[in-house]
Amino acid sequence: MSTPTSKPAIIREETPEERQRWRRYRWQLLIGPAFDPPMQMALDEVLTRRVGQGRRPPTLRFWEWSAPAVVLGRFQSLRNEVNLDLARQYGITVVRRITGGGAMLTEPGRVITYSIYTLPEHVEGLSFVDSYAYLDNWVIAGLRALGIDAWYEPINDITSAAGKIGGAAQARRFGAVLHHVTMAYDVSPQKVAEVLRIGQEKLSDKGIPSAAKRVAPLRQQTHLPREVIIDHLVAVFRERYGLEPGELLPDEIAEAEELVRTKFGTEAWTAALP
Amino acid sequence: MPHGEYKTPGGKLVVVDFDLHDGRLTHVVVSGDFFLEPEDAIDQIAQALEGLPAAEMDEDAIAARVRQALPPDAALIGFSPEAVARAVRRAFA
Repeated sequence: MSTPTSKPAIIREETPEERQRWRRYRWQLLIGPAFDPPMQMALDEVLTRRVGQGRRPPTLRFWEWSAPAVVLGRFQSLRNEVNLDLARQYGITVVRRITGGGAMLTEPGRVITYSIYTLPEHVEGLSFVDSYAYLDNWVIAGLRALGIDAWYEPINDITSAAGKIGGAAQARRFGAVLHHVTMAYDVSPQKVAEVLRIGQEKLSDKGIPSAAKRVAPLRQQTHLPREVIIDHLVAVFRERYGLEPGELLPDEIAEAEELVRTKFGTEAWTAALP
Repeated sequence: MPHGEYKTPGGKLVVVDFDLHDGRLTHVVVSGDFFLEPEDAIDQIAQALEGLPAAEMDEDAIAARVRQALPPDAALIGFSPEAVARAVRRAFA
């Protein structure tokens, strides 16, 4: 198999050349406002398209969730991954994103989610696997500055001595690269275990499952308000790469609303893999 | 409905669900928490397994069938044609 069997931990700081690649662009920051889960999925597609078309500069977006969601990876089976009855009972919307990777439970105020929309040339020459750690280097540095012993666990995990913090997912689509991450701020492991089906096979090469899947949310690790952590991460990004305040344009929102109607809000898309 | 799973060490989970008709795989769904570009390649992987004789035991042969169906620019991240083949065989284990 092509995938390595040992997973080196990545803590190393980026090189000046790697930092310079980020600084080629005038990064724009979007924070909020809150949107519901299908709209979040749609905004990711719209903003990826806009960056690919050159209609918006490479962008960093921090999300605000207005409602809880199970977010499925692009290639996951709806029934295999989600306890649909329980999700419905809890009032959780199930949506499918355009990137691969695993299902997550996201609740307002309990996760930190961000997207990076950039150009393929930004990660040119890097393997897919290497580009994950590269695009999240600033976050690892930011978490470490908060006193968390955090590192990157290839392919796509942000982890720490206390346990897993979050995961990244990417898609190369529409002439751009979408890289988004959700980190646990104050999640309920109980609820995650109830709503998501996590089979034994998935845990098979990770030793003791309960320990391997141990999540160490940021609230527990920092005792800081969520907004303070986000502000800190934004400051780290700005200091390293430059970052200008931006806003979602009305026509971007309108395009996303249309995509909710035709794609992300439809059963055909959510059950694309049944 | 037969169901097989295989997780690549250090990588991602591949799940294969299908029906059997006249000793061949049909209605194949390949899913998992892997990454794949382009996204439509997921359909080509499933299509490659349609009609596969259930008696086909050779994982290399199944993997070759998957590989052949993939577009030349396809990128499989966290899994491989061999992982898909193993998930298929596991459905019969």
